[in-house]
Formats: sequence, structure tokens, C-alpha cells
Amino acid sequence: MKQKSFALALGGLLVLIFGLWLCAFQVRQSEVAVVTTFGRPTRPITNADWYVQAPWPIQRVWKFDQRVQNFESQLTESLTRDNFNLLTKVYAGWKITDPAAFFPKFAGTSEPIADAEKVLTRLLANATTAVVGKHPLSDFVSATDNGTNFVAVENEIFAAVQSQVRANNYGLDIEFLGFKKVELPEKVTESVFERMQSERKVLADKSQSEGEAEAQNIRSDADRRAAEMLANAESQATRIQGEGEAVAAQYLAVFQQNPDLANFIFRLNALEVSLKDRSTLILDQHIPPFDLFQGVSTNLLKP
Amino acid sequence: MADHPHSHDVLPEPGRGRETPIDAGSQALSEALHSSFSVIKVAMVFLVLLFLASGFFTVGPQEQAIILRFGRPVGQGQAALLGPGIHFSLPYPIDSHEKVPVAGKQEVRSTIGWYAVTPEQELAGTEPFGGASLNPVVDGYALTADNNIVHTRVTLNYRINDPIRYVFSFVSASNAVQNALDNALIYAAAHYTVDDLLYRDVLGFRETVLKRVSAVIRDQDLGVIIEQCSVQSVPPRQLKDAFDSVLKAEVNRSKVLNEARSYENQVLSKASADSSSRTNLAESDRVRLVNDVASRADQFQKLLPKYRENPGLFAQQRLTETLGRVYTNAQEKIFVAEAADGKTRELRGLFNRETPKKPEAQKP
Repeated sequence: MKQKSFALALGGLLVLIFGLWLCAFQVRQSEVAVVTTFGRPTRPITNADWYVQAPWPIQRVWKFDQRVQNFESQLTESLTRDNFNLLTKVYAGWKITDPAAFFPKFAGTSEPIADAEKVLTRLLANATTAVVGKHPLSDFVSATDNGTNFVAVENEIFAAVQSQVRANNYGLDIEFLGFKKVELPEKVTESVFERMQSERKVLADKSQSEGEAEAQNIRSDADRRAAEMLANAESQATRIQGEGEAVAAQYLAVFQQNPDLANFIFRLNALEVSLKDRSTLILDQHIPPFDLFQGVSTNLLKP
Repeated sequence: MADHPHSHDVLPEPGRGRETPIDAGSQALSEALHSSFSVIKVAMVFLVLLFLASGFFTVGPQEQAIILRFGRPVGQGQAALLGPGIHFSLPYPIDSHEKVPVAGKQEVRSTIGWYAVTPEQELAGTEPFGGASLNPVVDGYALTADNNIVHTRVTLNYRINDPIRYVFSFVSASNAVQNALDNALIYAAAHYTVDDLLYRDVLGFRETVLKRVSAVIRDQDLGVIIEQCSVQSVPPRQLKDAFDSVLKAEVNRSKVLNEARSYENQVLSKASADSSSRTNLAESDRVRLVNDVASRADQFQKLLPKYRENPGLFAQQRLTETLGRVYTNAQEKIFVAEAADGKTRELRGLFNRETPKKPEAQKP
């Protein structure tokens, strides 16, 4: 009997497991699901848990990945408001939010995600073209605006696509969106290169001539300052000499006591200093003391 | 089984209890049932074991795993992660598990701003030939704020901070990081002029990329932390010479400027030396003049009383004394007496300006 009940328990367990395999399913946090009854969606599931279903072919479970999908649009050529051709590529993150709405639109095919992305491609291309056309090129590339316009353009595209997606009730949501590429048409790159080439030439010439001009400035400035310095020194020297002369003039009062004698002494000094060395004197008997030869003024000799 | 029915009489199996065979046919049926039943039993036990064993799984050295109970992760954050080894989870549909990449360093590269280059060329360090234009599909580039074209690429290292978010909220979070990086790169390039981006503010450009990618990743809540990023930017290959010539011109310019500065230094230091020597000279002149006059005045004061005693004699005496000194000091003295008849006499001289070689010898 013991063995029989063991066998029964074992059998029961197996039936239970088989039943679970057949009638229960797990929906993960990363998934959403739709249960169809005879092909018609009857129960959307968005919460992670385990659920019971009637076995196939009565009910069937369709699970979808509800994680954020990465999506990139094609390069889209559009005209900016100021008539520049701009190629843009946009990336977006989207996910399935409403399996009940998503299922009837896309689940008929073997690749529901790829199908949904086809729709997104179309929506994104339209939205990008429309939004880019409303902005000048300077909203995309600018050295001054801190990127606020760039972000604003992205947000506008985002809002446009999101509203389209919601209006059509695709059962999905755009989570985020941004530019992946902002480029110019191939033809235009050629002319950009030409322009850059000439810009470079201008820059090279500019720095050459600026350098020379600046160097010239430095030199002439140096010359000017040197001249100024010398002139200052000259005037200072004159002033110093003037001071000296002023001090010397104070002694004038001393000489004033007897100008004749002062004059006489000065002249004697001058004579002595000027004939100090390397001089040749040519004398005759009129110059003292050689007038002695002449015998004049020798009153002392005449008794 | 039918070829050995007799054996059961001899050795009744314990499992059969005390059943008494009615006849050979029913006995054979019972035999068959019994043995197939035991086969089924073994199979059932095997199935149950298999079912339980399906809960075991292994985690490899480069990965980690998360157990999902009723679809939801067991545990939070790092605690939910199972390391390498063998693990057990309850069988489906109660538990299931998901492998996640090791929460270590991850790396993405953004090359949307770089020209098409094959891995072989990259390794060899050679550049593909640059045509006259850039095909937007093949060759990547970034537009700068002044509508110029540059090539720039960036490598970003990041760490998975929230593996549950990383794995369960994004089909491919690494692609999302890549997209954010691409976006940050063109965003940053669009707000830098070509010269700032390439030369003047390389660090600022890198900072802007980093700031933008951080902001985008934070907004999208990708569950990663950025560790570092490195940016490389070059001018278009087609314009390399033009860009080089600008650099050369700038080098040249600083050379010219340096030369000018050294000239400036030279001129100014010479002028400063000259002017100080000029003022020093003036100073010494002044001192000499003042001293000179002072000593003369002194001398005058002393002489004055003597002069007043006998002016004529005093003058005569001073004059003669001085003349005597003058004549003594004079190098050559020529005395020409007046002709007796009072006529003019002619004197011829040859003067040599050459400096005498022995000035010392003449002093005494």
C-alpha cells in the first residue's frame, strides 16, 4: 500500500507540474503580455507576476519586451529656415506601454518590434523635417547660446513625435530622443573645405603680419622708452649741475669782498691749469719775468 | 515476459502482495502491468528530479545573474547579484534567472565624428585617402559653431551602477550609452569654434562632452556611472597643410615677438646704464664744482687780509710765483728776443700731436 500511495503522490506531482507548464506563465519585470482567447485579445498584463491561463488552443499568451528599445532614424535631409540643407540623424528610446493597444497593430507579423520601428521611422522623418524647417542653422551650431537652442530643437522633435504616437494610440511611448548626427550634404562639404582653406590662409597671414606689427611696436616702444630715459637722465644731470652752480654761487658773496683780487686769483689759476702739460711757450722779453732781460722795471737795480 | 510465467510461482515478488493467480492469462496480464508500472515509476521519479534539477544554473566567470521570483528580481541593487558558480532557483513559473554582464568597467567609443577607417589602417596608423568631399553616410564628422568641419572621436569608460535597471529597463543599455555619447559629441562640437576645439580649449571641449553625456545619462536613468572619457580631434585630412601653416605662422609669430622682446630688453638696459652713468657724472661734476669753489673761497678768505696790506706787492708776488710754476711745467719754452731794430721776426714751427710715450718721466 505504501508503495502504491508513493506512486500516486508521484503521479499527482507530475500532473501538477504538467498542469503548471500548460496553464501558468510568468511575466517578467521586463515584459508585458497579452492573453488572447480564440485569437482575440482579452487580457493585457503589465505587472510582473505569475498568471494562470486556459491551455492552448483556447488561450494563448503573447509576450513583448517592454524594455527601452534603441532606435536610430535614417539620415534625413531637411531645409533649415535660412535655407541650409542639413542632414540629421536622430536616435530615440521607446518602449511598449500598452500591450492591448500595441497587439492589434503590430503583433500580426513575425517581427512586431521591427514593424513598430518602421512606423517610427516615418513619424520621425516627418517630425524632423518639420521642426528643422522652423529653425535657422544657428540654432544647431552656435558658439554663444550654451546649447539651449540645440536642446530646444531636440525637445520640439520629441514633442512632435510623442504627440503623433499618442494620437495614433500605438501603445508605445517615446522615452527620450536626441540628435546622433548633424551633417551637411556631400556637395556642401566641398565648399566648406574651400572656405576653411581660405580662412586658414587668412589666419596664417594675419598671425604673420600681426606678429611683425607687434614686434615693430615693441621695438619702437623700446626705442622711445630708451630715449625718454636718456632725456630724463640728461635733464636730471642738468638739474644736478644747476644745483652745484647754485651752491657755488653762494660763495660769490665771499669773492664780492674784493672782486679785483678774486678776478686776479681766478685768472692766475686758469693760466696755471691751462698750461699744465704738453704746452709750448713762445716768449719774448716783454713778458715777466723775462722783462728782466730788457732791464725795464728794474728800479731796484738803479741805485 | 510470456516465455517465463512459471518462475512467479516459485518466487513471488514482495510487491505483488498476496494476490492469488486465477489463471495463466490474467497472471500474464498482471505481470505485464506490474513491470510496465515500475518502468513508469522510474520514469516519473526521473521526471520529478529533472524538474527540480532545472532550477540549477551556473554563472560563468565574466557574468553575474539575477533570480526573478514571479518575474520580479529577488533583492535590491548589488545584493541581487549572484557571482560565478552554481546556483539554484525554484523551477519555472515560480523563479527564473537572467544573466547580466559583470558590473565592472565597460567601454564605448563614439566614431560618428571620424572618417571611415578600417581596423587594419587604425592599427597601422595610416589614414585613408581623403577625397574632395565627405560622404555623410560613410565619413563621419562634426560641425563646429563656426560651420566648419572637424573630425573628433571619444572613448567613454563607465561602470554599471544599477545592474537591475541596466538589464531590465533597456534592451541594450550599452547602445543607449553609445547614443548618448554620440549626441554629446555633436552637441559639444556644435558649440565650439574650430580653433577652440582643436587647439585653444581642448580641455573645455572634453568637459562639455563629459557634462552633456552625464546629463543625458542621468535623464535617461541608464544605471551607469561615468568614470572617464578621452577625446581626440583633428582637422580634416584634406586641410592638414592649411592648418599646419597656421600653426607654423603662430610659431613664427612668437619667435618674432621673442626677438623683439630681447631687443627691448637690450635697448632698455643699455639706456638705463647710460642714463645712470650720465647722472653719476653730473653728480660728480657738481661735487667737484662745489668743492672747488668752496676751497677757492677758503683760499680767498685767507689771502684777502694779506692783499689788503699791500695790494701791489701781493699781486706782483702771486703773479711771479704762478708764472714761475707755469714755465717750469711747460714742456717746451722758446725765448725769442725782440730784434734790435724793432722789426717783425718770423718763426717757423713743426708741431707733432703724437702723445709722448713717457709722461711719467716729465712730471718731476
